[in-house]
Amino acid sequence: MAEPLSYAASHDDHDHKPHGWRRWVYATNHKDIGTMYLIFACTMFFIGGGMAMLIRLELFKPGLQFFDPQFFNSMTTMHALIMIFGAVMPAWTGLANWMVPMQIGAPDMALPRLNNFSFWILPFAFTLLLSSLFVPGGAPAGGWTMYPPLVLQTGASFPMLVFSIHLMGASSILGAINIVVTIMNMRAPGMTLLRMPLFVWTWLITAYLLIAVMPVLAGAVTMLLTDHFFGTTFFTAAGGGDPVMFQHIFWFFGHPEVYILILPAFGIVSEVIPTFSRKPLFGYEAMVYAVASIAFLSFIVWAHHMFTVGMPLAAQLFFMLSTMLIAVPTGVKVFNWTATMWKGSLSFEPPMLFALAFLFLFSIGGFSGLMLAMVPADYQYQDTYFVVAHFHYVLVPGSIFGIMAGVYYWLPKWTGHMYDLKLATWHFWLSAIFVNVLFFPQHFLGLAGMPRRIPDYAVQFTDWNMVSSLGGFGFGLSQLLFPYIIWKCVRGGQRIGNKAWEGAHGLEWELPSPPPFHSWTTPPSDAVIARGAAH
Amino acid sequence: MQPHTSSARAAPPDEGPRRRRVRRSALLFALIAAAFYFAFIVMTLVRGWK
Repeated sequence: MAEPLSYAASHDDHDHKPHGWRRWVYATNHKDIGTMYLIFACTMFFIGGGMAMLIRLELFKPGLQFFDPQFFNSMTTMHALIMIFGAVMPAWTGLANWMVPMQIGAPDMALPRLNNFSFWILPFAFTLLLSSLFVPGGAPAGGWTMYPPLVLQTGASFPMLVFSIHLMGASSILGAINIVVTIMNMRAPGMTLLRMPLFVWTWLITAYLLIAVMPVLAGAVTMLLTDHFFGTTFFTAAGGGDPVMFQHIFWFFGHPEVYILILPAFGIVSEVIPTFSRKPLFGYEAMVYAVASIAFLSFIVWAHHMFTVGMPLAAQLFFMLSTMLIAVPTGVKVFNWTATMWKGSLSFEPPMLFALAFLFLFSIGGFSGLMLAMVPADYQYQDTYFVVAHFHYVLVPGSIFGIMAGVYYWLPKWTGHMYDLKLATWHFWLSAIFVNVLFFPQHFLGLAGMPRRIPDYAVQFTDWNMVSSLGGFGFGLSQLLFPYIIWKCVRGGQRIGNKAWEGAHGLEWELPSPPPFHSWTTPPSDAVIARGAAH
Repeated sequence: MQPHTSSARAAPPDEGPRRRRVRRSALLFALIAAAFYFAFIVMTLVRGWK
């Protein structure tokens, strides 16, 4: 727990950062590592996004247009793996690296060298995964869920897939350990748990989830590896194994993984809405308990992903009801965000716009999730585009808009410059419109029976597929504004003081913009912490 | 390689307990992660034997 720290005694306040490539390769500074995570995530976002464009290009019209089915399946598989493990998770870790030490009054992460190692595993993991596109048999094409026996038919890329998953898992676990240890041990005196910003809280809970479930995924793919190469039959029915067991293990990881991708977004929205409502967050403690409840419930709902494999009625009822129960803490959160805005002095800068879009559009994803939780309805929706629409509403206007909100909120703090607000507002509106054009029609396609993961479809699905593809191209192109806005802001712009936003509270806003190379070389005083904890 | 962070420098006397706490808790979480990894493999093995 937090005890008086004496950074000043060990610190001489010189900005003695290394220069050139050594600064990045040997980086142990939380901000440098955060920057590298964010650049990596952005690169992966565009690679994964490019694959999504290819998928939508193929689906623009019925019939095979450009790619053979194997390549199409590789694209769906790689798109998912890259977006989940390469874009969203590293983006959250990057934001955590930048913000957690600044928000808790710490000089750096607790384990800076481990932090460096966690990051540098990732480029190797994704180089390995992406290079599988060029081996005989092509990239993995069995879906990101890697269900056996299908995945065991993968060609030369199979061990590359397994090893890259192991590397990604190791990176995530080490990063999560670092974050938990930092939050539990490095808080400034006076920064009690219930004074921590919601972003720190959501990341603490996310890190616990990561430590618990990433090893489960690693265990599952290790067993796939031994089934493929060493003659075991963990998941091979012919040898007494059980392919459905893999699904249980995978989704025991997979459902908490969904919350790993979304909980930090809850934290960011909980920072942004009070700032631009100029009001304290409504129900701070309830928000903390709601996030913790969601995290707990995420461990007992996994089988709702696999109702159609056949399971006892009691199990179906249990997983259906436990899934529906998640709506309660989620409802608490949506209510509290809305109540925070109630009678607030609202303004609509880009972070607030993304947070508001998150609120509306994530709720749509939540509602379609409730529909999918109902067993009889799920029998109809299973493996249709309705599921694709559902999880993309959760992950794109949910996680990705949350990341955008966070970047637009803290970018002035990181660079010391205000970015081009007009261009960022354009980025928001184009994203918000096109994301709906892209994904909303997929609900109709799914309800009409269009199966997912196919390169061709029946002609009656043509119109909505064309609309969805046009939305996809528009969404993809509009994202090019994002790196341009960031690049322009890094190069210069209107100088800002410590506080970029009038209504902002929190320790990060007490530091200069940009913050010094070593944050909080002397711990903030209790008065500063109390001022920051505006809830 | 020269460490670049304040936390990696020569520690003043009262830093010791915190460093031990950091090391202990990091190892504890690493053990928990390893336990999850092996437990799920063993669980699948046990189930396969039945």
